Amino acid sequence: MAQYILETDGQVCPFPLVEAGAAIEKLDLGDELTINFDCTQATDALPRWAAESGYPVTHFDRVGDAHWTITVQKA
Amino acid sequence: MLLTGLGLGVALGFTMQRGRFCVTGAFRDLWLTGSTRWLTAFLIVIAVQSVGVFALDAAGVITLDPQPFAWLATIIGAFIFGFAIVLAGGCATGTYYRAGEGLVGSWFALIFYALFSAISKTGALSAPVAALRGITVEASTIHGVLGISPWVLVAVLVTGVGLLARHHLRLRSSLPVASLPARTSGIRHLLFEKKWGAFTTALIIAPLAILAWPLSWATGRESGLGITGPSSNIVNYLVRGDPQLIDWGVYLVIGILLGSFIAAKGSGEFRVRLPDVTTTIRSILGGVLMGVGASLAGGCTIGNGMVDTATFGLQGWVALVFMIIGTGAATRLFITGSARVGVSPARVPANQ
Repeated sequence: MAQYILETDGQVCPFPLVEAGAAIEKLDLGDELTINFDCTQATDALPRWAAESGYPVTHFDRVGDAHWTITVQKA
Repeated sequence: MLLTGLGLGVALGFTMQRGRFCVTGAFRDLWLTGSTRWLTAFLIVIAVQSVGVFALDAAGVITLDPQPFAWLATIIGAFIFGFAIVLAGGCATGTYYRAGEGLVGSWFALIFYALFSAISKTGALSAPVAALRGITVEASTIHGVLGISPWVLVAVLVTGVGLLARHHLRLRSSLPVASLPARTSGIRHLLFEKKWGAFTTALIIAPLAILAWPLSWATGRESGLGITGPSSNIVNYLVRGDPQLIDWGVYLVIGILLGSFIAAKGSGEFRVRLPDVTTTIRSILGGVLMGVGASLAGGCTIGNGMVDTATFGLQGWVALVFMIIGTGAATRLFITGSARVGVSPARVPANQ
């Protein structure tokens, strides 16, 4: 089980979502993908995408003003 | 009385920021993920507002006065506008509220949107825009064409949207969606932290959109919510200094900016964020095309898409369809076709 980080700071929506979708395809089952983002709308779009795709969210928090991080596990 | 515009704008900007209400996202999702959740929220605003608008009209508080339908300019303008909002990263209100969140890209989009609205409405481009908008058909509303009471359409719309909303609520109840850990409680949590659902947000925006009609009417501005006209007025006021241009709509859009700033600041979501080169160029180009497109179409996602639709104007519904098509074209060109080249997630060494 490997950990990966995708930095999307500065990317406006929907790019964090599009890039996360492309990134997780390259991962193996059980791998975790951490997505750091600063687009407010993605606080709605990313957890919903994870839920609809069946990927468990292992971590989701703010890391500063208008900065968030979410970690999803490929399942 | 003009200050009611400011108050309503603050409430609207606050709600849109906290609810992440993005019309561009609603249209874009149709092409990107096939999701209709945000489009349903948008339709809820239209449906609820239509009940209020026709009730106000029946009560004589406002008098709807449909204009001949400028079909060609509406089709071309709406397509351009729909295309532009993908480039700009937000529609008219979306650009205002993101500007309030500190996104410099949205500041660029907003400045060029307001500037090119003024150029298209009263400046160098006003002649061709007026000529295209002069091509009209006599028909102006759907119920007028069908020769039926608008209340039939209100009933059909409310029923249809209700069924769509029920479908989404059933889907959602079985889906556990992760949320951010709570740090505050009480009213502060409710206002500045809690995740507002798409439909809750729509049900707050709808009464604000209804209220906009009589409040704006009372000041002599005989319409509902609108963004493009006021944005153009601000530019004209700044360069000509004519205080007559400061109307209820100007207070409204300034209020949206202020309300979204308050919401973002209060929830720790305000930060001045600089865009990269590509995003900057796209924001500017998007703003330019938004100004031209909205002026041609006679409205933006709000004026046409959310307000004229609620009066069952042909302009509103035709514009809505062509905005969505324009959004689809831009999504294909600039989003699905152009993810950052070579971006892949970095692997974290196992010992960390």
